[in-house]
Amino acid sequence: MNHRTTRRLLEYCFTVWVIVTLNFALPRVMPGDPFLHLSADEGDEVAAFSRAQQDYYNSQYGLDRPLAEQYAVYLSALFRADLGYSIYYNQGVTAMLLRRLPWTLLLVTVAVAASSVAGCLLGSLSAYCRGRWQDRWLYPVMIAVSEIPAFLLGLVFLFTLAAGLKLFPLSGAMTHFAVYDGVIDKIMDIARHAVLPVLTLTVVRTGGMYLLARNSMTTVLARDYIRTARAKGLHPVRILMRHTLRNAMLPIATRIFLSLGGLVGGAILVENVFAYPGLGRLMRDAVLVHDYPLIQGIFLLITVSVLSANFIADLVYGRLDPRIRETAGVTP
Amino acid sequence: MKIPNRIMILLLVIGLGLCACDQRKTEGTAPEVETTGSAARYDADVIRLQGGDWGYPTPFAHYPRGPGGFKMCMIFDSLLERDEKGLIPWLAERYAIEDNGLTYRFTVRDGVHWQDGTLLTAEDVAFSFQYANRHSATWSYIFDAVAGVTVEGGDTVSVRLKKPHAAMLSSLGRTRIIPKHIWEKVERPKEFTTPEAVIGCGPYRLTGYSKEHGTYRFEAFENFWGPGQRVRVIEYIPVSEPILAYENREIDLTAVTPDLLPRFRDDPAHKIVRSPAFWGYRLLMNTDTTACLRDVSVRRALAHAIDRNELVAKIARGAAVPGSPGILPPNHIMADGPVRAYPFDPRQSRRLLEKAGYDRVNADGIRMGADDGTILDLDLLCSSQEVRMAELIRQRLKDVGIRLTVRSVDGKTRDSRVRAFDYQLAVLGHGGWGQDPDYLVAHLCGDVFDQNAAPSYSGLPGLDAPELLDLLKRQQTEIDPARRRDMIGAIRKKAAELLPELPLFYTTGYSIYRPAKYDGWMFMFDHHSLSHSKLSYLQRSGVAAMR
Repeated sequence: MNHRTTRRLLEYCFTVWVIVTLNFALPRVMPGDPFLHLSADEGDEVAAFSRAQQDYYNSQYGLDRPLAEQYAVYLSALFRADLGYSIYYNQGVTAMLLRRLPWTLLLVTVAVAASSVAGCLLGSLSAYCRGRWQDRWLYPVMIAVSEIPAFLLGLVFLFTLAAGLKLFPLSGAMTHFAVYDGVIDKIMDIARHAVLPVLTLTVVRTGGMYLLARNSMTTVLARDYIRTARAKGLHPVRILMRHTLRNAMLPIATRIFLSLGGLVGGAILVENVFAYPGLGRLMRDAVLVHDYPLIQGIFLLITVSVLSANFIADLVYGRLDPRIRETAGVTP
Repeated sequence: MKIPNRIMILLLVIGLGLCACDQRKTEGTAPEVETTGSAARYDADVIRLQGGDWGYPTPFAHYPRGPGGFKMCMIFDSLLERDEKGLIPWLAERYAIEDNGLTYRFTVRDGVHWQDGTLLTAEDVAFSFQYANRHSATWSYIFDAVAGVTVEGGDTVSVRLKKPHAAMLSSLGRTRIIPKHIWEKVERPKEFTTPEAVIGCGPYRLTGYSKEHGTYRFEAFENFWGPGQRVRVIEYIPVSEPILAYENREIDLTAVTPDLLPRFRDDPAHKIVRSPAFWGYRLLMNTDTTACLRDVSVRRALAHAIDRNELVAKIARGAAVPGSPGILPPNHIMADGPVRAYPFDPRQSRRLLEKAGYDRVNADGIRMGADDGTILDLDLLCSSQEVRMAELIRQRLKDVGIRLTVRSVDGKTRDSRVRAFDYQLAVLGHGGWGQDPDYLVAHLCGDVFDQNAAPSYSGLPGLDAPELLDLLKRQQTEIDPARRRDMIGAIRKKAAELLPELPLFYTTGYSIYRPAKYDGWMFMFDHHSLSHSKLSYLQRSGVAAMR
């Protein structure tokens, strides 16, 4: 590991510590406490907690200890990958996150991949045909698409494709209590349930990716070496893929990494519209009920994934654009 | 095109990974369904209802909010059960209250089996009380209230309380009975979530649960001691839009908003039921910090100025009944007899304000006190979801010369401020209005007797009503049902006279289902959901016969 990478790593460690500390403090300064939220005033029955019960639970969860001690316990547990025990959900936070993570990963990785490919292709087409009818049509349509809120688009798909045409299931990630014929049958069932959430996320993300690709490509297409390539009579696809896209990749790669970094919290609205059992839905519920350990666990996961994505992006930049390594004084 | 290929491989790996880890889960939670034979004795083979994760259905691990507790009740029976009219004997064949409410004797039913085949004994019942007294159940009724429990003559359990309490029959009767042989070694009951933790003696056993998907599957317990089950399997599945799921026949019963009623009303395939009004909004008044509210005439003027029928029509769109100044909702089993009413009458409101000394009006039309010139200017605290209601109240109060400033905050901030008495007027909505009227103590007195975490249990600061407080305290130890009923009646009348708070309206709500699929739904006497009662799934014969 070279000097620059070590320095970056230390910077990230410091950032993680700051965020972990904020993460510990924030839920505790939010209005209310866990008992206010455990009290079922909003439900049908009033589940109320007497003083004796509050003392019982406070002692069980260590909430009666001084803040400094709670902080020390929290930090030492983190080193053991123990994110604590959820007060509301009665389960270890790490286990809860691990059970939800695959569903969100499935949705968001497919959507990021699909929207990146679609956005890049359409952006390239638009840039290459700049000023012609393809660009004149694509540009306003993609601007409009990029502005549609995810939950609205999700509801439109839900009402039309699922409820109206009955092409897809209304909710959930799989058919429950079903007996499958085999693995393929189950994969198809999961895929069918994922179509609408993935489609929603893809459409919403494609607009931004398209605009970025179009701008980046337009800049590169105006360069002299592209004019030279054209003059040499190279095939347009070769010019686009080999000479333009590669050079326009830096901002696009940044965007893809940022999207991957936001994996965890990226699908909150869509998961809620489709009752999809991912982390976004869990995060919303955790905030609503002020479940300190769970909120801390989810936010920490988001932090770590965003920082990791940034760190990887830093490393990948060097490979994509050797000039970055040179300015940092790093020898290959 | 190397990149798409890599992505494809990645997706395939993720897909296979998901599948591999999920296959085991499905096998564990979705047992094979028997389709013939035993199904014939049931009215419905499978009923599907709206799911969502409400916790592992043990008395200690389910979540306090929502329907988690009622799912647990399908598995775990109690000594008494609730039908349309009140408490009925269930695991207890009979009971007696002795020593002025200090001792309760329950005779435990014979021939009751746990779902693992073991026989239920009086020892199990005694253990359940001792355990619930030591470890707080999620819906705790008796935590730290029991002085001692003894088994007498093999089938009778005697429970001695630390102090008598009129609501204790219901509290003891609703405490879940758990098998001693399973729970006696469990020290952290909230974390005990193994398969044997859901062995009860109730009519249904849990055969599937997924926390992340929010699904539950209950199957009729064949050795159930009581009335036969009418539904073989009850499944709870996640839904995005309940009414869409109902129309698509994914679920068999759901709540329906008043706007959608015309769509189903004339279709005989659907049956619409209006639920009793046990969820309500209250206008809380802080007489401690707000001098003008100490005058009962001002409080009565507020009641006359606010059009509660308008709130029902515009906010609840008709699915509610106006609040009663006697606090208990009209569907409550102890809400008999009329109490003083405060119909919408701005002129009467103005007269009352003048009587209270606010007989001058400033240039903005706001009333002023004759003595010191203070204007009638109040703050109304509400959550962001209640702003429309608050605005309607503001308009009506402005008509009689009261300036109201609406302070809208998020729901939990409002709850915190209500608990801290940091308000002048506040709108608070919550459930539980059908329960034992002992909740009036918590509504009105809060920590005068025992403080609690729920904002609805905070009490009203500065309440100066010694007679009302005395009645509230005395009803807690009145064991004779008839005398207690009279006392509750007197409390309702007194509350309506003094108006320490004003219930605005109680929501009713509608449920819809297809009677051809299943028509056994019923409401418990104190609860507003059709699907929550276990009697909704049982034959109405024997101990569960209609009264």
